[in-house]
Amino acid sequence: MTALLQSGNFILDSLVKFVEMSGFMAFFADGGWKFIVMLAIACLLLYLAIKKEFEPLLLLPIAFGMLLTNLPGAGMFHSEFFAGGHVDWAQFAAGKFGLLDVLYLGVKLGVYPCLIFIGVGAMTDFGPLIANPKSFLLGAAAQLGIFATFLGAYALGFEPNQCGSIGIIGGADGPTSIFLTARLSPELLGPIAIAAYSYMALVPVIQPPIMKALTTDKERRIKMSQLRQVSKTEKILFPIIIAIIISLFLPDAAPLVGSLMLGNLMKECGVVDRLSKTVQNELMNIVVIFLGISVGATATAETFLNAQTLFILCLGILAFSGGTAGGVLLAKFMNLFAKEGNKINPLIGSAGISAVPMAARVSQTVGQEYDKSNFLLMHAMGPNVAGVVGSAVAAGILLAFLG
Amino acid sequence: MDKFANVGWPEMLLMALIGFVLVFVVLVLLIYIMKGMGWFFARERKAKVAASAEHADDHAISDQELAAAIITALKLYKSNLHDQESEMLTINRITRAYSPWNSKIHGLTQVPERK
Repeated sequence: MTALLQSGNFILDSLVKFVEMSGFMAFFADGGWKFIVMLAIACLLLYLAIKKEFEPLLLLPIAFGMLLTNLPGAGMFHSEFFAGGHVDWAQFAAGKFGLLDVLYLGVKLGVYPCLIFIGVGAMTDFGPLIANPKSFLLGAAAQLGIFATFLGAYALGFEPNQCGSIGIIGGADGPTSIFLTARLSPELLGPIAIAAYSYMALVPVIQPPIMKALTTDKERRIKMSQLRQVSKTEKILFPIIIAIIISLFLPDAAPLVGSLMLGNLMKECGVVDRLSKTVQNELMNIVVIFLGISVGATATAETFLNAQTLFILCLGILAFSGGTAGGVLLAKFMNLFAKEGNKINPLIGSAGISAVPMAARVSQTVGQEYDKSNFLLMHAMGPNVAGVVGSAVAAGILLAFLG
Repeated sequence: MDKFANVGWPEMLLMALIGFVLVFVVLVLLIYIMKGMGWFFARERKAKVAASAEHADDHAISDQELAAAIITALKLYKSNLHDQESEMLTINRITRAYSPWNSKIHGLTQVPERK
């Protein structure tokens, strides 16, 4: 009888221990509601990715990473291992790490954004930019959003390094935002990545009203002359020259620009087709999965549920709008000095914020609303790819100032 | 953060301004490099075109040979010409009343049945 009672007590104790260890109990502990809110946000993002198709390739892994990291008790991610800008290798050596800690090393060490940039480079055609180098100016002007937001964030009380990370949202370039934020203010990585990718998906909604407000009907109907043909040699020399010049000017931008140009050279040289296809597809897809999950993992309740996140989301809109306005206004300004027949349609200026190729498509769509026979897509691709280079340069500058 | 203890509005404004100007400087430099590259390749293309034109002059053919070639080509072309036809086919459906004279069944040889 005693033995039976003892074994009953043992089973009861085990059951109580099991229930106490389960994640469900954490929901009722002090501050447990935060986990529930974070799981609800993760589910909302999953809904947006699956049902609304908002950048699903990235938003889905980000949202699922967010879901995994906010499961109490699972211990999949430990932000304290990466606190203070350093990796606590002792914890890794002791084997006390979770799956997401290991994946996050790729973000922390700046590996994933660069690998993605190799794939982006291999998928990008710089031909329109080589044919019309003036597009670089539009790509530069569209970086206005970055620096305006940089100041806006400071006005809202962020630290200068955080301002740099928030400002780079205006580059409309996910890998660049992640690369810079992981170095300057890793604690903001989750909200910044989510803001950057969400607003990139919303480019067709954010940009057109600004483009229309800043241009006249006559300007929107400007037809641009056909671009010249670019030889294969020029296309091969372009990535080599850009990588050398920018890396010498801004060594901090070398990892991003170098990776972008390496991918492009693989595509253009035509002798490494297998490598080019691999970086465009398999490598890119694998890294996107790792990057998405680990970025989502940083969105823990402590870092996400605060006023800062709300500010970052608001500043993100300012960044995208500022960039769009900067590009359009510079195109208008350039037209003041351009001869008749060489005028630029200011609608292509908005494509300078990168977000390839979505922003260029927006220029084309808005242009066709006013003149069905006006094809702006190829002209807009110039500032669009110049924006990728421009945002990488801006990231290098911010890193040099604040890193 | 201690590192930014002395950073205020003036420093932030200066950083933003210098940063934006630097982006322009680097990209304007790239414009000139790209323009230089475009100019060089355009010159090379022109030189190639000129060289091929010269090359063509070396093998210039006489007017008589040219006339003979044109006449031969015209002759061959005209010999291949035919009267134009509409190339349109029309099928008229004709309905005929049944008659044992055009009946298929009666026209076929009946296979004898083995019983």
